[in-house]
Amino acid sequence: MSELARGRLIGRPPFLAVDVQGVLNVVGLLIAYLSAATFVPAGVAIGYGESPWPFLASGAIAAATGAALAFSTRGEHRLGIREAFLVVSLTWLAAAVLGALPYLLSGDPQVDRPIDAYFEGMSGFTTTGGSILTDVEALPRGLLLWRQLTQWLGGIGIIVLALAILPRLRVGGRQLLEHEMPGPEIETLNTRIRDTARRVWTLYIGLTAALFAILLGFGLTGVDDEMTPFHAIAHALTTIPTAGFSTKARSLEDFTAATQWVIVLFMVLGGINFALTYRAIVRREPRAAARDQELRLYLGLLAVGSIVLVTELWTEDVLSGWQAFRAGVFTAVSTMTTTGFSVADYNTWPALALMTIVGLMFVGGSAGSTTGSVKVVRHLLVGKILRREIDQTLHPEIVLPVRLNNRVVEERTLRAVSSFILLYIGIFVIGAALLAIDAARTGLPLTTFDAISVSASMLANVGPAFGVGGPVGSFEPFSDLSTVVMVVLMWLGRLEVVPIVVLLTRHYWRS
Amino acid sequence: MKIFLVGAGQVGFTIVQALHDLHDLTVLDLDESRLAALSQRYDVSTVTGNGASRRVLAAAGIARADLLIACTSRDEANIVSAMISKAVSPRTTTIVRTTNPEYLEVWREGQLDVDFIVSSEVETASAIVRTIAVPAARQTDLFAEGQVQLVEFDVDERSDSTMIGVPLRDAPIPADSRLAAIIRGRETTFPGGNDVIRSGDRIVVIGSPQAAQLWGEVIAPGSGKVQDVVIWGAGQAGTAVARALLEQDVRVRLIEASLERARLVADELSGARVYHATGLDPDFLERERIADAQVAIFAMRDDMKNHFAATLAKVHGARFTVAIVHDAPSAEVFERAGIDVSINPRQVTAEEIVRFAHDPRTQQVSMLDDDRYEVLDITTRPGSEYVGLSFKEMPIRGALIGALIREGRAVFPHGDDVLRPGDRAIIFTESSRVPEVERAL
Repeated sequence: MSELARGRLIGRPPFLAVDVQGVLNVVGLLIAYLSAATFVPAGVAIGYGESPWPFLASGAIAAATGAALAFSTRGEHRLGIREAFLVVSLTWLAAAVLGALPYLLSGDPQVDRPIDAYFEGMSGFTTTGGSILTDVEALPRGLLLWRQLTQWLGGIGIIVLALAILPRLRVGGRQLLEHEMPGPEIETLNTRIRDTARRVWTLYIGLTAALFAILLGFGLTGVDDEMTPFHAIAHALTTIPTAGFSTKARSLEDFTAATQWVIVLFMVLGGINFALTYRAIVRREPRAAARDQELRLYLGLLAVGSIVLVTELWTEDVLSGWQAFRAGVFTAVSTMTTTGFSVADYNTWPALALMTIVGLMFVGGSAGSTTGSVKVVRHLLVGKILRREIDQTLHPEIVLPVRLNNRVVEERTLRAVSSFILLYIGIFVIGAALLAIDAARTGLPLTTFDAISVSASMLANVGPAFGVGGPVGSFEPFSDLSTVVMVVLMWLGRLEVVPIVVLLTRHYWRS
Repeated sequence: MKIFLVGAGQVGFTIVQALHDLHDLTVLDLDESRLAALSQRYDVSTVTGNGASRRVLAAAGIARADLLIACTSRDEANIVSAMISKAVSPRTTTIVRTTNPEYLEVWREGQLDVDFIVSSEVETASAIVRTIAVPAARQTDLFAEGQVQLVEFDVDERSDSTMIGVPLRDAPIPADSRLAAIIRGRETTFPGGNDVIRSGDRIVVIGSPQAAQLWGEVIAPGSGKVQDVVIWGAGQAGTAVARALLEQDVRVRLIEASLERARLVADELSGARVYHATGLDPDFLERERIADAQVAIFAMRDDMKNHFAATLAKVHGARFTVAIVHDAPSAEVFERAGIDVSINPRQVTAEEIVRFAHDPRTQQVSMLDDDRYEVLDITTRPGSEYVGLSFKEMPIRGALIGALIREGRAVFPHGDDVLRPGDRAIIFTESSRVPEVERAL
């Protein structure tokens, strides 16, 4: 063999260790399928005598782009653990583009700047619920429904949806699902990922339909005169995903107490692990489900948060009686489940109440739910890890497995939980600093505490924060740079940081 | 009875020792020298060959056997042997020895075609738990589903003086118990009201578990209920002991040298505290206050390690030490080293197996002092010469009825009580008189 031939045989290592073409193929396919969702607002627009073209055009653009991407990268691909990180990260960036297109094409003056439209699209799919709109009710009905629909689609996960209906994605499905489903581990209801995805989606649709029926009933029977069928479907679409977009300017403030309590109940349901709800409702094992340690802590923390807020409102005389009780409980539940609905402008509440609200932003709901933030199970595990560390300082030789629901949690998972929390806090701090510095640069009236609340709220996918970005405020005054920071925070928060941070390492791209 | 015994190891030897003079024994083993050693001491027929082979079993005449005992040290060989025996000769009852508690579980669920399974680990664990219940006891055993306990004590000068040196009719004997025997050197007394317990005696008591604990208090004052135990070695034996103790709400600490094993056991036993340590490090013993535990159990695989660890624990102030002995000669070394109780899993297993081999009316037996005494559990026949007699009228012939099981409940008889047919009698006797006692009842 000549040296030349030998050199050719050995060759060079491939430039990238990631099958980028394969990734783009899947992302293109997903976006092409997702574009079909634009038919819904188009239909609504026609129904209300508005123009359906912004939606149809957006759908056509997305479908064409996605299909072109998929077609140009067709062939044999390796979709493994590596590729899954990139697929998930890119899919969510691309989905937000699809979310933004109808706003841009509608020509509405509130959302005609690309960066603003992209913020609204990302806030939609990541179920954050923060908005750059200054007058929600001025938007056409079709566009309003599209906002709500993006949150519903993003709630349980675009990829979960794809896994449930598309046959193409079965390869690597578990990895994809793990990155998209919130929580440290996924609990599969069945050995097949596809069946799990289907069951979760069926339950998701069922719960949404149930809420819609109740709200519609309230409207028709006169329990709540404000609750028109349009508002009923709009809020049904954003409650179970714990998302928070509202079609009313003052969120849920104008609805009656009965409506608000029903929404509280469904926010709580949206924050429970869907696998658990499935077991309790469909498999009729409510007792087994009720023994779940995470569920108990979740409900306990909701109760504590509510009690603190209500007490604070009573003692500081901000609100009184049942109104204070309802506002306190609603705000606690809405914040902790990372929904972001509001029934009162808490910007004027006393400091301790505000601290409690920021604190609740870091809690989140259960793993396997639609909520953002850290998630209760991670708090539970970190508590157990700390208790073990303290025990081990005194008894260096002791072997203490950490148990969750009487099952031993693997050390890998525990390490992942600890590092997740460190990463999460680090990113929150960087986000707050960037927002505060940029506000000082542009002269935006944003206090440090406001900046902290915005960073926490965006990363946890809550939505409203304090100051200008408060419950009845808007993120419109923020500079373009701050808007980009917030978009990145929402994206990181929805995918639970790690899959995106992995992309920043050299060893991800090179073998 | 014609009995087939597969395996002539330590367990096999002990079984032969207990059964050879009453039954027709055939012993199978691959090792000819072991069989030779056995047949030199006992009158048994031996077959050199694989006890798990159908050809060997059939040729040895398994079809005529009433009972097959498979007690090699290999679980799978024992099970296969019993299964083949069942296939060749369905009438033969099979007993299998296993070291793996999982087989016991499978058998209980009816998934193993074996009549009885005896697990060394589980038997050893319950032997240790029984010992701990009465820490002062030299040896102890439970009968009648745990309603009757037999305890053997060594009386010394620390024992409560109200009981010692006093005629028994004046001594404060705990209710629901009987003094079954006083052993003084080579002489055994089945005591009456005039007899006296002296320091240096060995006594045998039969009574309710509560009464047995009271006796423990009298013989060794200050020994209360055990609440805190440390176990060296988290192998199968140690884990089985830990599990049994945890069920009784005893605080258990386990010391295991292998990290992998320690993790596994910590995962499995949620109630125990498991340490990854050798247990031979004085710093560790001191730091964890190991010697504060009421009982230290040594369940490592190696007798020498158990010996060393137990001595070290004693040095650190351990109060009561129990060790598992794997080789019979170690027992004497342990005793010399001051280890309070040593338990031989093979001995315990053999005893449990022998219980099945007795007269069908005899439900359980226990051996004491290296087979010098036996405890029988016999159901009284209607035609027995003792039926209708009150206890004070009964002639004592080298045996004593310690308790009766009447309609499922334990009764501790007094002088005026009368033996009825159908009563189950718990009898303490010298081994040589067992057939006589069985005939009499």
